[in-house]
Amino acid sequence: MLIDGEVNHTNQVEEEAHFDFDLFVIGAGSGGVRAARFSANYGAKVGICELPFHPISSEVIGGVGGTCVIRGCVPKKILVYGANFGGEIEDAKNYGWELNEKVDYNWKKLLQKKTDEIIRLNGIYKRLLSNAGVKLYEGEGKIVGPNEVEVTQLDGTKLSYSAKHILIATGSRAQRLAIPGQELAITSDEALSLEDLPKRAVVFGGGYIAVEFASIWRGMGATVDLFFRKELPLRGFDDEMRDVVARNLEGRGINLHPRTNLTELTKTEKGIKIYTDHKEELLADVVLFATGRAPNTKRLNLEAVGVELDNAGAVKVDEYSRTNIPTIWAVGDVTNRMNLTPVALMEGTCFAKTVFAGQPTKPDYNHIPCAVFSIPPFSVVGLSEEQALEQANGDVLVFTSSFNPMKNTISGRQEKTVMKLVVDAETDKVLGASMCGPDAPEIMQGIAVALKCGATKQQFDSTVGIHPSAAEEFVTMRSVTRRVTASGKPKANT
Amino acid sequence: MAAAAAAAAASSLTTPKLTFPSLQSLYRKLPLSFPLSLSSSSSLPLPKTLTTTTTSLSSRRPLSHHRRRHLTTRAEAENGAEASRHYDFDLFTIGAGSGGVRASRFAANFGASVAVCELPFSTVSSETTGGVGGTCVLRGCVPKKLLVYASKYAHEFDESRGFGWKYDSDPLHDWDTLMANKNAELQRLTGIYKNILNNAGVTLIEGRGKIVDPHTVDVDGKLYSARHILISVGGRPFIPDIPGSGYVIDSDAALDLPSKPKKIAIVGGGYIALEFAGIFNGLKSDVHVFIRQKKVLRGFDEEIRDFVAEQMSLRGIELHTEESPQAIIKSADGSLSLKTNKGTVEGFSHVMFATGRRPNTKNLGLESVGVKMTKNGAIEVDEYSCTSVPSIWAVGDVTDRINLTPVALMEGGALAKTLFQNEPTKPDYRAVPSAVFSQPPIGQVGLTEEQATKEYGDIDVFTANFRPLKATLSGLPDRVFMKLIVCAKTNKVLGLNMCGEDSPEIVQGFAVAIKAGLTKEDFDSTVGIHPTAAEEFVTMRTPTRKIREHPPAEGKTDHDVKAAAGV
Repeated sequence: MLIDGEVNHTNQVEEEAHFDFDLFVIGAGSGGVRAARFSANYGAKVGICELPFHPISSEVIGGVGGTCVIRGCVPKKILVYGANFGGEIEDAKNYGWELNEKVDYNWKKLLQKKTDEIIRLNGIYKRLLSNAGVKLYEGEGKIVGPNEVEVTQLDGTKLSYSAKHILIATGSRAQRLAIPGQELAITSDEALSLEDLPKRAVVFGGGYIAVEFASIWRGMGATVDLFFRKELPLRGFDDEMRDVVARNLEGRGINLHPRTNLTELTKTEKGIKIYTDHKEELLADVVLFATGRAPNTKRLNLEAVGVELDNAGAVKVDEYSRTNIPTIWAVGDVTNRMNLTPVALMEGTCFAKTVFAGQPTKPDYNHIPCAVFSIPPFSVVGLSEEQALEQANGDVLVFTSSFNPMKNTISGRQEKTVMKLVVDAETDKVLGASMCGPDAPEIMQGIAVALKCGATKQQFDSTVGIHPSAAEEFVTMRSVTRRVTASGKPKANT
Repeated sequence: MAAAAAAAAASSLTTPKLTFPSLQSLYRKLPLSFPLSLSSSSSLPLPKTLTTTTTSLSSRRPLSHHRRRHLTTRAEAENGAEASRHYDFDLFTIGAGSGGVRASRFAANFGASVAVCELPFSTVSSETTGGVGGTCVLRGCVPKKLLVYASKYAHEFDESRGFGWKYDSDPLHDWDTLMANKNAELQRLTGIYKNILNNAGVTLIEGRGKIVDPHTVDVDGKLYSARHILISVGGRPFIPDIPGSGYVIDSDAALDLPSKPKKIAIVGGGYIALEFAGIFNGLKSDVHVFIRQKKVLRGFDEEIRDFVAEQMSLRGIELHTEESPQAIIKSADGSLSLKTNKGTVEGFSHVMFATGRRPNTKNLGLESVGVKMTKNGAIEVDEYSCTSVPSIWAVGDVTDRINLTPVALMEGGALAKTLFQNEPTKPDYRAVPSAVFSQPPIGQVGLTEEQATKEYGDIDVFTANFRPLKATLSGLPDRVFMKLIVCAKTNKVLGLNMCGEDSPEIVQGFAVAIKAGLTKEDFDSTVGIHPTAAEEFVTMRTPTRKIREHPPAEGKTDHDVKAAAGV
């Protein structure tokens, strides 16, 4: 049974008295803080531990707020905002603005303000916890038994607590690729805290982190070379849209090196020398490895209680986020389900409801929107065309719109915004939506509500546009671009 | 969306929606005009299914229709006498703006022979000037948005400083460059619109159209007969007749000034006034807005009205509330003074009135054929956009329903379906979203809190008022306000309002959700996109207030709110 009953129910008071806490959470990132706060609000007595704060994480460094606030979404978005002005300044000229040929950039100022902001947010998160009545411990948490945690504090002293439930929410960390000279490369943690803005940057990886940092440095004026193993970046996304993203990155001046691996890094006087499997050589000030993240499960002492991990080292959980040990649960990136902040929040909320509100709740992984904050950004919800074809019973209708955004008509920027809707031909349901272009992440949120609730193409069409906007294209796609059958062969226009 | 419109147009041009029934009937009825209007279309498998189609058509005839419609398919069978009369065109449209072009193109795509007349191009409209594209493209949405883009950079430069960008000197703006580039774009767009009409097989006639009788239009002395006449002549700025009103400019002129205003008075509190206030403020004019009411944007949600006014003031716009203009006086040095009920403000280089728009119904011959009009001069139409004369129809601003481009498009599209596709279609005015491109902009869909309270009584209101991530870095006082209005009984989201960066783009997707009748739970079950402003709309857990027609005796509501507030 998942239901824990009501906390203030009289016959349970006795039982609970055996434990120091109803819940002890290891890791105060998005998922952990959410689970802790909500559980406390449902009446549970909650403790949480987190490593000391620092922008760059390690085995012994972390900070309340976690990856999202300190080393992920927030600082990344701040740098994207900063970098985006680079393009804006170019665009302004044809609108009549007279600017110097070279507008200067003070990287240190931005970095300082970014650090100030994450320190502020770190404080806010601490206050959120204390306002919710959650007891926060600074130190490294370990699991000692199914109901026992140990927190090693900064000064080395160890605290031991018993808890009715233990939640693992320790997240994940960036990984380096094991090639010669890998120590010369940095990960996204360091990339968010570089002392100087690189003039020549090399990014290795084809995922969202890679394209985001490539965009950030390019926007600030660096020469950027992006290496990735596949034909296109952003594996797993809609193929047509991946191509659009690649073209737009190139359009913004990033040098793409598809189907290329880095083989070695060496230090020279002129910078870091990069060798590729295409026998290319390149010099760079900074080499970023955006080659994946691994769950933080190594130092949790999980083997002592027998919590099962998968091959990637992620904590295995059931649909309610429970591990194979009934009193131990896990949410967020450490479970490697869908590694997004809002998903960790959802999992944390569902956990609290399940365990402390008597409402067993499974997180729903359908129609989770997400965004890549490249410049221009890319955002999706629902299925890609390839996924839709795999899952659909009948034909799939594809609607695409590729247009020159109004702003570019005067700025002269050569960059198309592309939107795509994938529709089930039989039910008329919109199965997937994607967009690459300015404001895509903001635009996609409302579309996500519609898709989540099974909106049909007809319902999109019956919605009046907001004029003039880019988003209105999503409700004015009248003609089907192609009809595709599951066999993968497009039919003629209908 | 100028470009978007063109793209959309282009896409439907490549796959014209030629439905077989209308094609076939046309083939029978108008063998001569057929090759002309459809020669470019790809597939014409016509005669094969002729008989069956005709049968099914007559059985699909709309029964509920009280008005006799001259659907081409039925005309021959039922109204032999009338149908046998030869008309030059199936549809003659007066006015090639958003509604007129849409109706004409779609009608042509459905197989009708169509002509449209429009006045010669000019950036400023008058009795004798207009231009293909209409208000939206030439004197409204498009040039306005281009100037908004231009003026917004000033704010972006300010923001960028907080992100480390340094400028040796303050960026200066060159007005002539902007006007030249804007006008080049308008010329390009009017050309695109002409092409769209041309590619759809619509005959474009330049000149002033006037209705002579229910089936005849006079364009500069030449007569054209038509089975149906569509009036889509739009509206024009209206300036009240007060002393010195000759010195005043309207929005047409404001979009194409020879030089940038140094100090401008903008009279009016509607969206046009606010948009121009933002434009000129961004381009570094000294801007004063004079409004008769206490607040800007009558008809919008009260909180939005307060919020946008405050944000605009913070950006340097001076709002003069409850001040009605009485006269404009020109001084010896050429500057203008605005005299109001509260006093006189001097030293304006320009005085702009954004005091409403009026339908262009004068000198159209409407009175003589008996087309009824409202007191404001708008054409009265039924739900199908039919006027009091059965062969005369009207769409867009000239009918003064909801004066928005996408609504005119909807009306035009619906009319083409009604007349030429045997599908009587009423435009649906529920949950029409709209935007104000003020700085910051506003987006809204559905009801305001005041409307919802009046209509539903019991509602829950969710609000968020926050400093966006960008502003924490830029150090500017920018904020974002969001509001969801939910029916307490059904939990349906009745209205959504937002003021802040990207509002118009953000609201479009939510408009789909609201139009589809989704509930607050549906919003809550949607996962956010992080970090965005828009995610706030799916993470509003606690009502800010619950409005009840009959508050419960016990203070239960308060308790609920408090209990949830900590979550």
